[in-house]
Amino acid sequence: MPGAFHSLLLPLQWKRKPKRRRSRSHSKEGNNRNKPKSHLAGAGAAGDPSFNLKASASSFPRDIGCLVQPLGNLLLSASPGANLRDAGLGALRPLPDDLLLDVLGLLPARALAALSAASKALYVVAAHDPLWRALVLGELGGAFDFAGSWRATYVAAASGGRPHLIPPRALRIRGFYSDYLFQSWLCANMEMRHEWLARDNIERRRGVSVEQFIAEVEEPNRPVLLEGCLDSWPALQKWSREYLLEISAGKEFAVGPVSMTLDRYFRYADNVQEERPLYLFDAKFAEKVPEMGRDYEVPVYFREDLFSVLGEERPDYRWVIIGPAGSGSSFHVDPNSTSAWNAIIKGAKKWVMFPPEVVPPGVHPSADGAEVTSPVSIMEWFMNFYGACKTWEKRPIECICRAGEVVFVPNGWWHLVINLEESIAITQNYVSRRNLLNVLDFLKRPNASELVSGTKDRVNLHDKFRGAIDAAHPGMINQLQFEAQQKAAARKKKASFWDTAVDAKSGGFKFSF
Amino acid sequence: MASAGSGDEKAATVTLISSDNEHFEVPEAVATLSQTIRHMIEDGCTDGGVPLPNVTGRILAKVLEYCNKHAAASDKDELEKFDKAFVDIDDQATLFDLVMAANYLDIRGMLDLTCQTIADMIKGKSVEEIRETFNIKNDFTPEEEAEIRRENQWAFDD
Repeated sequence: MPGAFHSLLLPLQWKRKPKRRRSRSHSKEGNNRNKPKSHLAGAGAAGDPSFNLKASASSFPRDIGCLVQPLGNLLLSASPGANLRDAGLGALRPLPDDLLLDVLGLLPARALAALSAASKALYVVAAHDPLWRALVLGELGGAFDFAGSWRATYVAAASGGRPHLIPPRALRIRGFYSDYLFQSWLCANMEMRHEWLARDNIERRRGVSVEQFIAEVEEPNRPVLLEGCLDSWPALQKWSREYLLEISAGKEFAVGPVSMTLDRYFRYADNVQEERPLYLFDAKFAEKVPEMGRDYEVPVYFREDLFSVLGEERPDYRWVIIGPAGSGSSFHVDPNSTSAWNAIIKGAKKWVMFPPEVVPPGVHPSADGAEVTSPVSIMEWFMNFYGACKTWEKRPIECICRAGEVVFVPNGWWHLVINLEESIAITQNYVSRRNLLNVLDFLKRPNASELVSGTKDRVNLHDKFRGAIDAAHPGMINQLQFEAQQKAAARKKKASFWDTAVDAKSGGFKFSF
Repeated sequence: MASAGSGDEKAATVTLISSDNEHFEVPEAVATLSQTIRHMIEDGCTDGGVPLPNVTGRILAKVLEYCNKHAAASDKDELEKFDKAFVDIDDQATLFDLVMAANYLDIRGMLDLTCQTIADMIKGKSVEEIRETFNIKNDFTPEEEAEIRRENQWAFDD
């Protein structure tokens, strides 16, 4: 952390609140006000070719697209100083947009509607769709019929479910400038640029033996993309939308903060256009729909699964992931110090990965790792931070992973994933002998009860796990500790010979590009 | 700034400096209700005081009132009473200044409280009442107002 500065006017990103600090209906992570604005200046709402807007962005403007322009345009406009925002907010004007949206996020729907009728500026701000998403999810849970925008969805439900009776958004408003709101709209309507997808430097392997995998990939803790190990999966042939709808009929899956049926989710996914699409991510899919569990098997490299000694008390370990283009996960490290594999059944995912000791640009974990000052949305990360990777201390591993391929995520590695098209995948986290000691260490930490995820009884997990391992695999832990000591000693010898400055405690992983 | 390490009972304090150069010496236990200040103390950046160029002395004094109370008291009812009185402010501008100070200093409780207060000023009001409350000029044409009414029929019909 930087030392002797006194001013608090530095970008506040590193002090920003952690992810789930408040239930904010709009995305506040990463203080947008301090982002470089140059890329926004001169951008038109639609039609600017440099922004790769989705085709639908310029069609009938149901969303805020026609309503907001970036502040840079104000400087270039015919009447600078004439920002509708200033005139129309009255006493609320001193509040920056993110705070204003915080306040609006506390309002029930009727109040938000009343506010939107007060002035043009408030009409624009109240149209911010994430506000309406929170209202829909809060009042309807997963039982909503997505109507193209969250506001339309809410209004349809409030009008007794008769969407054809809702008048389309009537007003076209010109002259409202706001970087914060424009950025949000832009991220919702952009597509991934070619230069963000071009680099593909992950190691690809096919047909390796388990021993090879352990020695050349898992031990050194390197990411790798495995080809050809899903050939036996029935899921690859069978998992069409129709099939999944049939076998899951009526079952609800975890989607963000709510649960919903698959048909509802697909209707949402087909019509959504937002910065952070809801992502179907369910840890109990095989329990809910046993056929799904039978349509795949764990690839041979990952069969050592030591958390299984805990039986029913093991943390969540396997998920089905379904999401539209644009959905994904921003930078994080997987919980409990586990490793993971991610197999794509349908679609394509872009991956960006950094090794454990390299924090990605734009990401700010707290000292104990308990808070990751939440990264900006995935699209915004690419817009504002991907370029820094060229000069970052270590360049990331990147790839596009497609149907039939598996990405191995070594424990501790930062990763970001975005679906480039609608994708269906299965992912599992696991503990093998290669990361058992790491996991035990992690679980021993004093704040482990906050960090440990996916279990009901967090506090005792370390002791339970340790006990269960000793019972099922007596001597394993001692053996691993012995081997680790030997390795450390060998490195120390080598280090003192070559370079006294080398830290003998650094991990065995060698990062060489 | 930590006090002299003589092991006596005096708690560590930090000096906060408002935009208009008022100095407030504050116990760390109170100042650290602000996450921003807490991080600075942890990073050892508070020697010579912490300048807060975005907060006037008048507002900072009120902020510290809040922090003092919340650092000291733990009785839920007592705090609720205090909070209610704290935001019972005639002057809207002061309320907004407090919201922004709470945001800047990252004082969660105060931010929640002040945001909720503003929200409560909006809830349950008609469009005209909202305009009056916040001195908002109606810049819609009559035609536009009619369109909005139609668009929001679901909300206005009861």
